[in-house]
Amino acid sequence: MDVSSLAAALPSLVAPTMNLKPRLAFPLHPFSARGGGAHPRGSVAVGCAHSNVPPPLRRAADEEDQGEDADPRLRLHRLAEEFRAVPEAGRARRLLAYAAALPRLGDADRVAANRVMGCVAQVWLVGRCDGAGRMRFAADSDSELSRGYCACLISALDGAHPDEVLDVDPADLAPLGVAAGTRSRASTWHNVLVGMQKRARAAIAVREGRSPAGSFPSLVIGRDGTVRAQGSYAEAQVSSPPLQFCLFSFRCLD
Amino acid sequence: MKTLDEYYRSYNSNVHRGIHVLSAKATEAYEGARTKVANFVNAADSREIVFTRNATEAINLVAYSWGLSNLKQGDEIVLTVAEHHSAIVPWQFVSQKTGATLKYVGLTKEEVPDIEQFKGLLSNKTKIVVVHHVSNVLGSMLPIEDIVTWSNRVGAKVLVDACQSVPHMPVDVQKLGADFLVASSHKMCGPTGVGFLHGKLDILSSMEPFLGGGEMIADVFQDKSTYAEPPSRFEAGTPAIGEAIGLGAAIDYLSQIGMQKIHEYEKELATYLYESLISVPNVRIYGPAPCKTDHRAPLCSFNVENVHPTDIAEILDLQHGVAIRSGHHCAQILHRTLGINASARASLHFYNTKEEVDVFVHALKSSIDFLTSEL
Repeated sequence: MDVSSLAAALPSLVAPTMNLKPRLAFPLHPFSARGGGAHPRGSVAVGCAHSNVPPPLRRAADEEDQGEDADPRLRLHRLAEEFRAVPEAGRARRLLAYAAALPRLGDADRVAANRVMGCVAQVWLVGRCDGAGRMRFAADSDSELSRGYCACLISALDGAHPDEVLDVDPADLAPLGVAAGTRSRASTWHNVLVGMQKRARAAIAVREGRSPAGSFPSLVIGRDGTVRAQGSYAEAQVSSPPLQFCLFSFRCLD
Repeated sequence: MKTLDEYYRSYNSNVHRGIHVLSAKATEAYEGARTKVANFVNAADSREIVFTRNATEAINLVAYSWGLSNLKQGDEIVLTVAEHHSAIVPWQFVSQKTGATLKYVGLTKEEVPDIEQFKGLLSNKTKIVVVHHVSNVLGSMLPIEDIVTWSNRVGAKVLVDACQSVPHMPVDVQKLGADFLVASSHKMCGPTGVGFLHGKLDILSSMEPFLGGGEMIADVFQDKSTYAEPPSRFEAGTPAIGEAIGLGAAIDYLSQIGMQKIHEYEKELATYLYESLISVPNVRIYGPAPCKTDHRAPLCSFNVENVHPTDIAEILDLQHGVAIRSGHHCAQILHRTLGINASARASLHFYNTKEEVDVFVHALKSSIDFLTSEL
């Protein structure tokens, strides 16, 4: 599927609260070899090993529809090969090109509940399971390169089944760049993947009739024995729509 | 590095325990490093130096050992909005457990902590003041001697985060007069994994242990234990022996150059960095300008209009081999106070040169051009 169809299709893949508005009506190919193509901020010079235009990112569901293997790990592997084929100087351009094609999230989705914690830039991630049992993701960031990383991960995991999302190992990201697969608050690749897997885990829990709430990172146990979330991240998790977190009180043993 | 290598190859042995020659040698080197640290900051007694994992652990030591025993509901802890997370979060723990309240000093329009507001916050409820000596974001320096004088008048203790001053200038703990002072080895040409707390001996002697285990005890019974004197009381378990000895070697290196000489050179470098950076279009530097302060550290936290600092840092790294930091620099409260989410930061030490500053500025301009042409 080309980028314009992807951008047009995304609004139907996400919850009604999302307000995806592609910044422009993309042409069939975002950056034509003739140097045209609408772009949010003017003309773009994009380079890659084989032509001046990067191939559009394709989603797992699109490839499956065409009978191709849409396994996310394989797609990540192909993405890594694509990046390796590009001279290092061109990789940033490629990421920025993917960033330019990634639809922006609306204000309603750029909220604390959707923050991907640990990134050096602000990254918002929205994910849910659609009627066909596939995970649908959308993401945004205030950093353009981070948007590029998000676009790549979405292309690999959007449309995948929740179990397939969980099967992706952070080490699968390693070929994409230095420290890409490393557990670190500075690795957008890793942190966004973790965020996607959290949402996949919640979707599986709902499917199996369990509470989608996972382990809770930040609790304050008061002197009176009450347990409450504290801190913007913890409080955001409590208020996050897909998660129904049950706060409970227990007696502190003195 | 040679010192570390020599320790691990030649006399790797635990300290204060064995009676054989290797242990004796290791103990002598370890305690020798403690004496070097004490001399480096002009501590009155080497027993006032407690080795920790880093400054963060040193602050936690004070918070748990002194704070939990001496603070109660109604007491106040004064900090500034420009503190590093390591100087804030442990006191939040203490506040939650004891009921003491945190009070924050804001910034002036020159983007330095407001000293007049600080004086106004001090009262007989203030039990401890926790402040940086030099800000890791703003580059500004606080008047610690005055802060200690004002704090002592209301009976408050003072803890100084000296991570950004000890590596860059002469620091004299007796002159500063603070009750506690912390620093980290890895910021002063030493190895990671070791730092230190300086505490006045009478205060350390009155403090309960932080961690329990070997070394910090005198006698252990089934129902109780008695504890060693400082500094051992606060050094439970096997310490980072090689690393502490390595810190001693780093101090030898810095002392050989001379901290005053380092400081003078870095003042010049700081001004050069600031003036070079401010000449780049659309750059906003945080903290006071060098002309408006007696001291500006050789670091600049900055933003470029309409370009994310993380993007700048990545392109500087990928395309120019220049390493800077981007993010909140462990100072989220300060960033919120400044009205920003993140910033980029270029920081220098005495081994950097003006030529390297030129390379950085040139690379920055090129990175900005690249990003603004692609966006």
